[in-house]
Amino acid sequence: MLKNAILTLLSLAIAIGLGGYSVWYALNAQDGVGAIRIGQWTAFPEVGTLAADPYSKARVAREGVLALGQAEGLAFVAERDDAGEPLKRECAYTIEGGYPTARFWTLYAADQSLGVIDTGKPRQSALQSYEVLRQPDNSVVISVGSRPAPGNWLLTGGSGRMYFVLTFYDTPIASSTGLSDVTLPRILKAGCNA
Amino acid sequence: MRSLLHALILGLLGAGIVHIVVLFLVPEFSERDAWSRLAMASDLYRMTRLDAEAGGAPVVKSVDPLFYAAACRFDLGDGLVRIRAPGDVPFWSASVYDRNGHNIYSFNDHNANGGKLDAVVLTPAQMIDVRRDLPEDLQGAIFVEAPIEEGIFVVRAFVPDESWKPIVSRFLEQSGCELQDY
Repeated sequence: MLKNAILTLLSLAIAIGLGGYSVWYALNAQDGVGAIRIGQWTAFPEVGTLAADPYSKARVAREGVLALGQAEGLAFVAERDDAGEPLKRECAYTIEGGYPTARFWTLYAADQSLGVIDTGKPRQSALQSYEVLRQPDNSVVISVGSRPAPGNWLLTGGSGRMYFVLTFYDTPIASSTGLSDVTLPRILKAGCNA
Repeated sequence: MRSLLHALILGLLGAGIVHIVVLFLVPEFSERDAWSRLAMASDLYRMTRLDAEAGGAPVVKSVDPLFYAAACRFDLGDGLVRIRAPGDVPFWSASVYDRNGHNIYSFNDHNANGGKLDAVVLTPAQMIDVRRDLPEDLQGAIFVEAPIEEGIFVVRAFVPDESWKPIVSRFLEQSGCELQDY
């Protein structure tokens, strides 16, 4: 009798503990279903729509996100450079290459929660396409780091993990058919303050 | 020994069931979703700034730092809701979300009449009523038919640089979200 009760308790504990933990784990993982990867950049075009999978629906509800609509724009997040190393705030990077068609784009350096990093300086850690200098072939070279750089400079600072968020506004690539032959700029490490 | 194995397998099966049930219950019972956060910040039909610029922590996180945003909650059970904003800004976009924060419909300034934000959100049944006798002052508005009752309307506006901040702030602060009689 006691043995039966203990076994029942054991199965219940496994069911509730493991079931609950696995949901919590899945919702905290950065990667997800329905991601589109272009180089090191990841986007979730379906997050926040009715067509989204149950995991992103739960994540949207838990984090209180209001995702951009298709007519608004599409955001890409990068967490690694082109060599596959995680992005760090104490390192300098060069972001270079062409950008797909859009009315304009914005680029900012973000912390773990994807909010803009606080540099403690009046200059924001964000750039947008109307203010950048372009190369003769219309591509853009952006220097990322805590030291001022000629050309386009994205200020960062501090230490720890860093993410780049690149958002295209009013763009045809937001409808998934436009995503097939899109190329995004490359992220190259320039050096680190050890 | 066999009954222990039996209990373990039963536990794993149960874990699978609990996983699925919890996953589908999270959106139903979340108290941290966008609607609840907005409800704590302001009343229905009140435009509320979402960015941190207006003071305090941002209501809904992950807004582009080069954007300002404002949102209002509405209930189409009360009638149709009209959102208007005066003035010109470099870029604005708007989205209608349902109670759970799913994006139902979105548009931007290129879709609007003369670049002015003037939108009416209504249910398909209300649309039939309004079509029968369209009021004069709704002629230029964008009609968003949404099969929902409670929802959220969000306006986002681009701030290209420092000098645009007051203009974009004014654009959002003067925007209205009101119950419309018809």
